[in-house]
Amino acid sequence: MDDTVLRVEHITKRFAGHTAVEDLSLEVKKGGIFGLLGPNGAGKSTTIRMIMNIIMPDEGKIVVFGESSASRDLSHRIGYLPEERGLYPKMRVLDQLTFLGETKGISRSSARTKAGQWLGRLGLGDWSTKKVNDLSKGMQQKVQFIGALLHDPELVILDEPFSGLDPVNSQVMKDVVVEIARQGRTVLFSTHIMEQAEKMCDRIVIIARGKKVVDGSLADIKQEFGGRHVALTFTKNSDRAARVLQDKRLVRRVDDYGASAEVELAPGAEGDVLLGTLVREGVGLSRFEIVEASLQSIFIQKVGAEAASVPAREVVNA
Amino acid sequence: MHKIIAVIRREFIERVRTRAFMIGTLLGPVFFIAMAVIPGLLLSRGSAGRRVAVIDATTGDFGARVESALAAAKEGTGANAKAKYFPIRIQSAPSRVREVLDSLVPKTGLPEKESALDGILIVDESGVTTGKVSYFGVNVGSLEDMGQLRAALTPLMITERLRRSGVDPALALGATMPVDLETRKVSDGKLTGESGAATFGLAYAMGIILYMALVLYGTQVMVSIIEEKSNRIVEVLVSSLTPFQMMLGKVLGVGLVSLVQIATWATAATLLSKNQGRILGFFGVSGAGSGMGFSFPSMPTGLLIVFFVFFVLGFLLYSSAYAAIGAMCSTVQETQQAQMPIMMCTLVGWFSTFALLKDPTSSFAKIAGFIPPLAPFVIPVRYSLAPIPLSELLLSIGLTILGLLIVVWFASKIYRTGILMYGKRASFRDVLRWVSAS
Repeated sequence: MDDTVLRVEHITKRFAGHTAVEDLSLEVKKGGIFGLLGPNGAGKSTTIRMIMNIIMPDEGKIVVFGESSASRDLSHRIGYLPEERGLYPKMRVLDQLTFLGETKGISRSSARTKAGQWLGRLGLGDWSTKKVNDLSKGMQQKVQFIGALLHDPELVILDEPFSGLDPVNSQVMKDVVVEIARQGRTVLFSTHIMEQAEKMCDRIVIIARGKKVVDGSLADIKQEFGGRHVALTFTKNSDRAARVLQDKRLVRRVDDYGASAEVELAPGAEGDVLLGTLVREGVGLSRFEIVEASLQSIFIQKVGAEAASVPAREVVNA
Repeated sequence: MHKIIAVIRREFIERVRTRAFMIGTLLGPVFFIAMAVIPGLLLSRGSAGRRVAVIDATTGDFGARVESALAAAKEGTGANAKAKYFPIRIQSAPSRVREVLDSLVPKTGLPEKESALDGILIVDESGVTTGKVSYFGVNVGSLEDMGQLRAALTPLMITERLRRSGVDPALALGATMPVDLETRKVSDGKLTGESGAATFGLAYAMGIILYMALVLYGTQVMVSIIEEKSNRIVEVLVSSLTPFQMMLGKVLGVGLVSLVQIATWATAATLLSKNQGRILGFFGVSGAGSGMGFSFPSMPTGLLIVFFVFFVLGFLLYSSAYAAIGAMCSTVQETQQAQMPIMMCTLVGWFSTFALLKDPTSSFAKIAGFIPPLAPFVIPVRYSLAPIPLSELLLSIGLTILGLLIVVWFASKIYRTGILMYGKRASFRDVLRWVSAS
């Protein structure tokens, strides 16, 4: 039995005047967390909306669960958190969730029970009879998140799930996502925050300007990207460190964050030479570690130049 | 099916829970009570007992007869009747009429003064032949008052002229007796017991109710679609519901609300008209005015069914069209222009009911009944005024259903694409493209 949950085959979507997604293919296997990464305006949301059958691709096709029917007809098996969050502002929280559950095809009573359990779990138990209007933005986002998970979907599609959340709520949502994946269900989420994707995803696809740039498991991508990388954290004299890192004999590329830096060693240069030079210059170090390239640096290198030149009108359709 | 019911239920419950619905539903009966009580109040306090000075410049006893005719005029009927005028006759030489008038005008129209006059009537010899009578008063703007005054004076004039030509006064009185037309409506071969005025009132009221309900609830459908668009809730809904399910659920949900509201109003109106005397008494209005007040004529079952069928058809037709407009626009302001065609249809529909009131059997009435956007207004009103052959009725229903299906088909096409369009309003060319795309 094929364990492919979602197969996107050569889809293209054009809007008036520009191409939002071009010849994009990807495959999501059952279980685990799949990251759809890309800068703003890359076409992530457009891709997700096509997967959700909200808009139709101009070319190519999308197969969900290996079935020929559209994902809307399979909506009882899919959970969806759109990028544009939306709830009925005057509806009570519990009624709202019950309704969302019903539109996914589960019975009214079980939707109500499940919604109550979820609200309790995410710390919103006291708010179930309040109107959505009375909730903070973060709480509303949690409510919408519950709406996407209420019917125990096999495939959960989250469009920028962590944007606009404070660290505490972000943590709560992350725990839920990880738990879903542990249960053997599949999560696909889009983000432009690489640290998050790096920590959570098994497999990623990076798209830029509507085209696929990187595709594979995180480990493979890092290995393929290669190079020897050093992660540094400074305690003092980081200005001197900056000078050292300009040395092209030692360093091929540097990503300087001020208090820390990620460095790709020049071909032939050794890590201990760099360490020796830094110590000699009197730079205080609390971390000097030979590491794999971070997703952030891979991302910047692969799409950086292109992302910087995204025409303004494309960003509108992000 | 389960999903559509969920949408209908949400739409219904959330709407019925709102304060606007509660207030609207309760205000209906308050409005009916006002309709029943206010005419009574106006009649019982307003025009009764006007003090009128009659300047009599006639040589014979015509002036005296005018005085006694005015004094005999009554407001209301039976034991509750009150004098309509308190006439005061002032003899005057024809040459001094002007002088007397000038002396009386300063005493007229002073509501604070008990003895003040409400009007001055001048009758003279030439008036008997030319029919010219002058009246100066506070109430000359009231068509009803002036009509009554004219009606009181006309037979006096006629008998006076006949008398002067040598006709026996008793004969003259008998000969000038006006026609008192008493009307009773016949429908389905039965006497309904309704007067012509009640039939007219019912037809007129139905026209207004249909117009208001279709525009009011149609607009509600439109506005709530725009709200869903601006809340971005459509994005979630459209991933699990088809646009057709969303539209149908919304239209039916709002439709149920409208039926509940109208049924509440109808029940209230019926109860009120049955207990009209008691309610009027509660407000201190004597039964005198009740005959002239609001009364809710009984609706024959046939008419009730026709009204219901066409209300439902009209509601579905118009609210689907409103739904399409809502899907095309992003803000309520934008809809002002886009809904013009629908507004025109409802207005034409409503205005054609006026033509029907004039002549329900005209060929215009017949043709309008076969035009789907007009039929929901025309048919119930026409049916209440004159019988419609069953075959014609069925044809009209059939054509309206056909029109409804076409509108729903168009609307769902527009809805499907429009609902995810944010920002600018779609032009009619865009809309045509959406419709032609499969």
